[in-house]
Amino acid sequence: MSRMARGLIVLAGFVAAVLVGGSPQVGAQGAWPTSDSYVNADKDAASWLLPARNYSGNRYLSETEITPANVGTLKKAWSANVDARGPLETSPIVWNGTMYVTSSHNDVYALDAKTGAVKWHFPYKPHVIAFSANRGVALSDGKVYEGTLDGHLIALDATSGKPVWNVVAAHDLTNTFYTMQPVVYKNMVLLGASNGDWGGIGYISAFDAATGKRLWDWNAIPGPGEAGHDSWSGDSWKRGGGAIWSGIAIDPATNTLYADTGNPQPDFLGTIRKGANLYTNAMVALDIGGAKPKLKWYRQFIPHDTHDWDPAMPPVLFTGSVNGASRSLVAAGDKGGNFWVLDAGTGALVYRLAVSTQKGQSTEPNRKGNIACPNTNGGVEFNGGSYMPETNAFYVPSVDQCGIWKSQGTATYVAGQFYLGGSFPALYGPSTGYVNAVDIGTGKFMWRKHLAFPQIGGALSMSAGLVFTGGVNGDFTAYDAKTGNVLWHYATGMTIQAPPGSYVLDGKRYVVVAAGPAGVNFADPRLKQGAPTLEGSYKHPTSATITAFTLP
Amino acid sequence: MRTIALGLAAVLILSGAAPARSPVDDHASALAALADVRAAVAEIVRIEDGYAVGHGAYLRAAHRAMNALVGRRDDGYVKSFGDPGDGVGTLGYLDLMLDKAGTSLWTPAVQGAKANVLAAAEDLQSALAQKEMEEYQADLTRALASLALVVGRPSQSGVLGGLSGALANTSLGVPLGALSASGCAAPAHAPAYGVVAGRLAYVALPRSAASAGIPDDLSVARVVVQGDTVVLYTHAARDAAALCRSAARLQRTRSVVAAPSKISYTVAQARAGAGVYRRYCLQCHGADLQGTAGPSVAGADFLATAQRNKWSLSDLRTTVFENMPFSNPGSLTPKQYADVMAFLLASNCYASGSKPFPQTASASLATVKLAQVARAKPANSKLGTCPAK
Ligand code: HEC
Repeated sequence: MSRMARGLIVLAGFVAAVLVGGSPQVGAQGAWPTSDSYVNADKDAASWLLPARNYSGNRYLSETEITPANVGTLKKAWSANVDARGPLETSPIVWNGTMYVTSSHNDVYALDAKTGAVKWHFPYKPHVIAFSANRGVALSDGKVYEGTLDGHLIALDATSGKPVWNVVAAHDLTNTFYTMQPVVYKNMVLLGASNGDWGGIGYISAFDAATGKRLWDWNAIPGPGEAGHDSWSGDSWKRGGGAIWSGIAIDPATNTLYADTGNPQPDFLGTIRKGANLYTNAMVALDIGGAKPKLKWYRQFIPHDTHDWDPAMPPVLFTGSVNGASRSLVAAGDKGGNFWVLDAGTGALVYRLAVSTQKGQSTEPNRKGNIACPNTNGGVEFNGGSYMPETNAFYVPSVDQCGIWKSQGTATYVAGQFYLGGSFPALYGPSTGYVNAVDIGTGKFMWRKHLAFPQIGGALSMSAGLVFTGGVNGDFTAYDAKTGNVLWHYATGMTIQAPPGSYVLDGKRYVVVAAGPAGVNFADPRLKQGAPTLEGSYKHPTSATITAFTLP
Repeated sequence: MRTIALGLAAVLILSGAAPARSPVDDHASALAALADVRAAVAEIVRIEDGYAVGHGAYLRAAHRAMNALVGRRDDGYVKSFGDPGDGVGTLGYLDLMLDKAGTSLWTPAVQGAKANVLAAAEDLQSALAQKEMEEYQADLTRALASLALVVGRPSQSGVLGGLSGALANTSLGVPLGALSASGCAAPAHAPAYGVVAGRLAYVALPRSAASAGIPDDLSVARVVVQGDTVVLYTHAARDAAALCRSAARLQRTRSVVAAPSKISYTVAQARAGAGVYRRYCLQCHGADLQGTAGPSVAGADFLATAQRNKWSLSDLRTTVFENMPFSNPGSLTPKQYADVMAFLLASNCYASGSKPFPQTASASLATVKLAQVARAKPANSKLGTCPAK
């Protein structure tokens, strides 16, 4: 096919977003992962195909090369600089020696996984609706998918980085954008909308992976006539919230999608939305085997929440031993400081454990202001944790903060602005964090480490007995999975709000993590790093890097 | 004059520079799309009218026309032939205009224009593969026919009117930030655009501007001189008048620019506010106010958001006083908040006054809608921001 002829086809696909069916992409001759590759992602030691490596959402690796004995010698292999206008939250996807990462403003990079050299770079200049953050891409059939800050879903050619199609995916561009890392399942790209605090209604959508055509939406708030609708007083459901921000888990055997829904709105004013406010602050299990998703079960963690304490942690499916019996479980964590373990088949509660300080939780914010803990960015954050069968333990970092909460008597919806019925709380007291190891057998701590900074980096566990995680102060650390002893650490000098990943190339195993500026949620005056601002008093880093480590 | 609308934009915004091109500035996008089509047509006409011999010159012309149509983000773009357009390409601009939720009265015209650009691109593509001169010319003629429809004519609306028709008869003809009023009443100000339910009913010009000549690309159906104002009624005016009569639901499609008198802050406040901004806001909103981790807070991008979402000065005040700094809301003193508000207003090119920006909430702020200041001359014409001084 001549260059020009191909040009026209790609052109037509880009502008019309409908003609791409035949996919005459340049890179199509190279082998790309298939549906089976995703289902068996855990068995592929070399690659990292899904946000948390597998559909279970469990950031765990059966691995013997890096061990507690030799992890101390882990060295930086390479680092790559990317666009630094916001925090890095990207979870790298690795396939065939190439790593795909994103920056906060939706730039996409294909890096040589051995050297960090940039193979291609897709710059994007979105209009920022609220704040900049992006959690990474999905890869399938020669395409790289990204949800953007201006509400689009973009497919790029994985070999060249050129756009293949670009569709407006969000329904209301005044209050909806995307931060979630898309997940490919069968012929679908699954993507949840970020609109939790701006007066939208949450939903997760499936798009045709070949064309970008919308296949379905599942709305988190039941409309008139639907079950659960009566959990909202009056018309309050219309701006009810329930955004689907975080990662998802899928059980391919039953086509069940597990997703967590965000807080109800207005965030801090419960009196104008009386009721439990379904399905906000919940885990939902959806049957996605048919043309439209069907709700199998839900478990609401905090009914009628008034503190934005939504379950930010992506669900993790695992088989664990509870009181000596093997059970199919699913774990969740919320910003209210709770770690939850549910029965994966029914959603029944197995147990709950507080992993952050909890205080004043039953008092709704009022005009005078009251202290409640955790603070709005406290508890278990969006990178979650992982389960290790070898120890029957779940490793989950948490944030320990309190806040002063205030509400107002009313909430007015203004397109494009917060719909809070109050304002975000001010930090009260210290801001620290924990790395927690929860014994799944008993629901009690196996060990926990109290650290000076919030811990939001998510945990990667490795079967040889290691847990990797990063903190807001930039320390990237390997803990002994059995004892919590620090076995290795590396100071990135930036904040870590991205989860660790891992892959094998030319026989060597690598561990990788992204670090960058603090962003809007974890700006901490103690972080005196990087280049000075004009003012000099507040310093923040001006670089954002992806760093890979390997044994010498 | 290249196009009437471009001429008017210059008259009405009085910015000297080309209108800032933000993603939501559909008017500017339409003008730029039109300029790229015209550049492509000029390439083809030049080669067809000339006496070039040899294959090379023809190939070059077809490539250059193609470049102007598709823009450099497309694979059909071949850089080495040069680009008589601006690089974004007609398609690039049309996509910007179509790539959003909701439709306008002008959407069908723009969709039609896009279909015709795609058809022309296909003919150019085919021309590039031809060996025989006659076939090459047949392809180019077909491409020209499609492009004529893209340009369209000002006297017609809908798909047949093309981009010129949409610019001359719909709200697409109103530049971002220009004064627009209900087209049902006679104009109270000039320059101004009269709009009724998406239709452009009239363009009112001060006599001094009109005396330079009535722009010939506008679909002027009737001219009325009213004191110092010349009112040019468009072909859509009759349709608009019928709508005005039949329905009481007369709407302004674009809000009138805030009366500057209601926005007041002092120079001293804005200066002090610059320091507050550097200390408490810069880390998220950037030294150029275009946003880093947070969104933009001044200039074309911010004002376009504010205008689209119909934000009042009171909405802006609430965001700043109650929700900022995002990491520690409500932590500044009322004076610091008022100062930083003054700094933001100055950066958005609002003129200072003698009254300070109030430290307490005031109901009158709710009546002021944020929009691009009509006569502003942004110091940074790319971002549309003004220095605070
Ligand atoms: C820690 C980061 C951070 C800091 C510091 C911060 N902001 Fe913001 N700002 C944000 C975020 C995030 C938003 C988006 C909120 C929304 O969408 O409603 C925002 C929104 C705004 C907006 C509305 C713009 C829009 O498009 O929504 C204005 C105006 C603003 N901030 C002004 C300020 C001022 C003035 C200061 C300093 C006193 C400040 N901000 C400090 C993060 C920050």
